[in-house]
Amino acid sequence: MIDTSTMTPKSPAGSPPDTPAVQVRALRYRWPGRANELTFPDLTLARGEHLFVHGPSGTGKSTFLSLLAGMLLPSGGELQVLGRTLTTERAGRRDQFRADHLGVIFQQFNLVPYLSALGNVTLPCRLSKTRLARTTPSLEAAAEALLEQLAIPGSHRHHSVQNLSIGQQQRVAAARALIGAPELILADEPTSALDADNRDRFLDLLLGMAAERRSSVIFVSHDRALARHFHHQLGLGGQP
Amino acid sequence: MSRVKLALSLAAASVWYRRRVLALVCLTLTLSVALLLGIQYVRTEIRQSFTSTINGTDLIVGARSGQLNLLLYTVFHIGDATNNIRWSTYQALEDDPRIDWVIPISLGDSYRGYRVVATNDQFYQRFQFGNDRSLVLAEGKWFGDLLDVVLGAGVAQRLDHQLGEEIVLSHGGGRISFANHDQLPFRIAGILEPTGTPVDQAVYISLAAMEAMHVGWESGVGLPGRTLSETEARQRTFTPEAITAAFLGLKQPVLTFQVQRELNQSRAEPLSAILPGVALSELWRTMGQFERALLAISAFVVVTSLVGLAAVLLTLQAQRQREVAILRATGASPGLIASLYTLECVGLALVACVLAVVLGAGLIAVISPWLLETYGFSLPLRGLDAAEWGLLAAVPVAALLVSLLPALSTWRSSRRLGFGAGDPG
Repeated sequence: MIDTSTMTPKSPAGSPPDTPAVQVRALRYRWPGRANELTFPDLTLARGEHLFVHGPSGTGKSTFLSLLAGMLLPSGGELQVLGRTLTTERAGRRDQFRADHLGVIFQQFNLVPYLSALGNVTLPCRLSKTRLARTTPSLEAAAEALLEQLAIPGSHRHHSVQNLSIGQQQRVAAARALIGAPELILADEPTSALDADNRDRFLDLLLGMAAERRSSVIFVSHDRALARHFHHQLGLGGQP
Repeated sequence: MSRVKLALSLAAASVWYRRRVLALVCLTLTLSVALLLGIQYVRTEIRQSFTSTINGTDLIVGARSGQLNLLLYTVFHIGDATNNIRWSTYQALEDDPRIDWVIPISLGDSYRGYRVVATNDQFYQRFQFGNDRSLVLAEGKWFGDLLDVVLGAGVAQRLDHQLGEEIVLSHGGGRISFANHDQLPFRIAGILEPTGTPVDQAVYISLAAMEAMHVGWESGVGLPGRTLSETEARQRTFTPEAITAAFLGLKQPVLTFQVQRELNQSRAEPLSAILPGVALSELWRTMGQFERALLAISAFVVVTSLVGLAAVLLTLQAQRQREVAILRATGASPGLIASLYTLECVGLALVACVLAVVLGAGLIAVISPWLLETYGFSLPLRGLDAAEWGLLAAVPVAALLVSLLPALSTWRSSRRLGFGAGDPG
């Protein structure tokens, strides 16, 4: 039902370093207790490039991201992220890899409810020395600067994230994904709860700031209208 | 190190975020720990005050009987003597060069349910309790006149008696007596300070007064015409034929066992001599079963509240799936996430312990004067002893064990968690 799809190359931005950001060959995954196996198209994404992944529900978009993040192990195929073969590494190493090199944004409920906006943004740097080292001049200052760029009012930064609007919550999540300039950002339909204006503004901000940091972005959505913002697109579930 | 700091700060923020629910659980835990600790504390104090009911007395001598019986009727005013001991035996004890002092006591009458103890001034001078504390008169003086009576603090307080009042003693024990010694009313000469011992619950008269009261009572009731009036009584001198028991103080405590053996084997009269300390600890062992049961029950109350805490944490677990997903996706290990539950649980237990100690200390500080005033029971505020620290330390340890329940289940589920909440699609 799912087979290899095409990758439509657009203008690549920046020159890729030695290894690609993501390399996928004949990747498969079977959810425990399910008969059918999900298969994923082959893919090579250069560093700093932005990929749009689309496909209807049930085609394994979130599963694909879980595999890339090293949170699930594939039942077959090859997977390399930033030159590392995650499938053979131990769980603890995969967790640390994720902390050091990946930024993540979910569809919704992106924030730890009991931390402030600032606390949520700085969380990855408290889990990773690598990312902490990349924040300049200090962690607090870097977080404040990101929130400033993403237009989160100063009055909201130190308070509970419960009072933020959905759009603001998603932008705080984007700041958390961007802090410490991770090499790869994984976004799972982060704009699906936003209206058209907010959605475009969010995408522009996210992709613009990712480009500044030379972070690759893999962005999953069922809304194909967004594809124009990205260098490449990839369809799951046999879509072109 | 930074991981520990992160886990601590996340756990603290998480507890604060859920403070409304957790405050109630913490309150339950605080109350149950306070109960446990309070029972242990009061238990220690009661044992302390119980074993110091009598002090400085080397031997108690009475008619031959079991040592508990002798202890109960002489010290605790519970039960009755099986027999008396002769006045000549008492005199022989007084003359014994090894014996420093003898307090004779004669029992049998009562005043509105309180025992009447007939004795002499040796009782006031020699009787000791607690840590070598002697009897002190709160007001008045020790009896000098034939018809003087000295009241224990508890009697004076409960019956609201003042110095100089006249009271009538009753024949035999019991709260309501139909045979009163109303031909010889007594005048209250003194009132003792509270001691927190059975001394507070008795009235004291002279041995001579005891004799005077009972002239004409040989058949058990006062025969009119044979009993003495006050003027008749004052014209006579009285020497008792017998006393009920005697407290002995030896010149050299090392001779205690020797004197005890001699008295127990006395040919002149069947006597029992007991060591009050030994008898007291035997009595405590008998009663100790109850307080141990009480302590066990309160320990179960603590376990129950800890299980309640675990239940609440498990319920919260459902709400925390998103949060766990976020933490996992940002690279937190399942161990870090599981440790949040353990830290929260142990943290709450520690807070509950601190609150329980503060609550308990406050409560004791407030009720301690009232207890001493009303019941003559002294409950001083003191530092915790080793056993109490042990009980207190067991609470966070138990909390740690209880927290393993939600921690392990979170650890297992978060290991298999995928992107987002882990739903396929």
